[in-house]
Amino acid sequence: MAIPMATATPTDSASRVWSMSSLRSALPSATTCRMPSSTSRRPVTIRLPVSSPSPLLLPSFSGLSPVNPLISTGLPDWKSFENGFKIIDGGGRVYAMRHGRRVPKLNRPPDQRKALLRGLTTQLLKHGRIKTTRARASAMRKFVDKMITLAKDGSLHKRRQALGYIYEKQIVHALFAEVPDRYGERNGGYTRIIRTLPRRGDNAPMAYIELV
Amino acid sequence: MATSIDPLVLGRVIGDVVDMFIPTATMSVYFGPKHITNGCPIKPSTAVNPPRVNISGNSNELYTLVMTDPDAPSPSEPNMREWVHWIVVDIPGGTNPSQGKEIVPYMDPRPPMGIHRYIFVLFRQNSPVGMMVQPPTSRANFSTRMFAGYLHLGLPVATVYFNAQKEPASRRH
Repeated sequence: MAIPMATATPTDSASRVWSMSSLRSALPSATTCRMPSSTSRRPVTIRLPVSSPSPLLLPSFSGLSPVNPLISTGLPDWKSFENGFKIIDGGGRVYAMRHGRRVPKLNRPPDQRKALLRGLTTQLLKHGRIKTTRARASAMRKFVDKMITLAKDGSLHKRRQALGYIYEKQIVHALFAEVPDRYGERNGGYTRIIRTLPRRGDNAPMAYIELV
Repeated sequence: MATSIDPLVLGRVIGDVVDMFIPTATMSVYFGPKHITNGCPIKPSTAVNPPRVNISGNSNELYTLVMTDPDAPSPSEPNMREWVHWIVVDIPGGTNPSQGKEIVPYMDPRPPMGIHRYIFVLFRQNSPVGMMVQPPTSRANFSTRMFAGYLHLGLPVATVYFNAQKEPASRRH
């Protein structure tokens, strides 16, 4: 994943040239870079620069393949932004505060977070009720409901989508067999969270989450 | 997987219905052309009629066959565990249940909800049972263990099970 680089966006090309050269000095090899965020208070636009291969690799590259307009060839193009360098801007804004961000991060990087939630929903669907921390329980509600909604639909495509998420395929087949009868009339809200006593080792607030 | 787990343990048959046993007889069950292996999926429409069961052993031994469903009415809430489908006693070894005495007539599998296991349990009898056994008052809440204890049958000699789920009435998608 490209690490976004925050720069104060200048409006004239002269400043752009300046920012590129400072970029070059910061980079040992011209891969994706991170510049320390500026101290300006106003929201800064994220620029996602396209990474260009290091000059050492280029001679072997460019002879074989047509020159990619996105790849800077290390010639006068370095000086100016425009020549062949497309700016891919996700349009994201970064704020100093967390206002409006609703995705629970669970103190984990995204891949671990996804794996944790997959494991938790698998276990809940397997056992019917599990005890975990409150943050994890409230984070997994969305995904348990999603799995039950897939099972309510029941088509092959949805079954395969569920198989891609849940770790044990027996559980998916049992889910698709049971859910239409069990939750046919219920619209949403297939789980219930009951808060319990904190955990002894670290005083973490715990909760039971169970299928309604 | 280093060792092979007994499919009966894996399917929780041993534990839910019977206790750990050493198989000493062989039983092969056929629904029409389909041979039953542990955990194979069977459609209820193919199980409407009683299956063909071949029991090993010599003809002076008598066997009892019980077919139950421990997942009634649904595997996640088996309130009516077990639901007995078929009991045949006094089957001579080497023959099939038509030679025995049918205590509980065969009922075909009708799983209302979820994937149910249907288990055939074979016991070896010490003595002819005949008139001694009363048919259970209802099919629900049957216990194979208690039935075996009641007739002094001991541990089973063979077990096989299959899975069945309700066939969808109409394919929506």
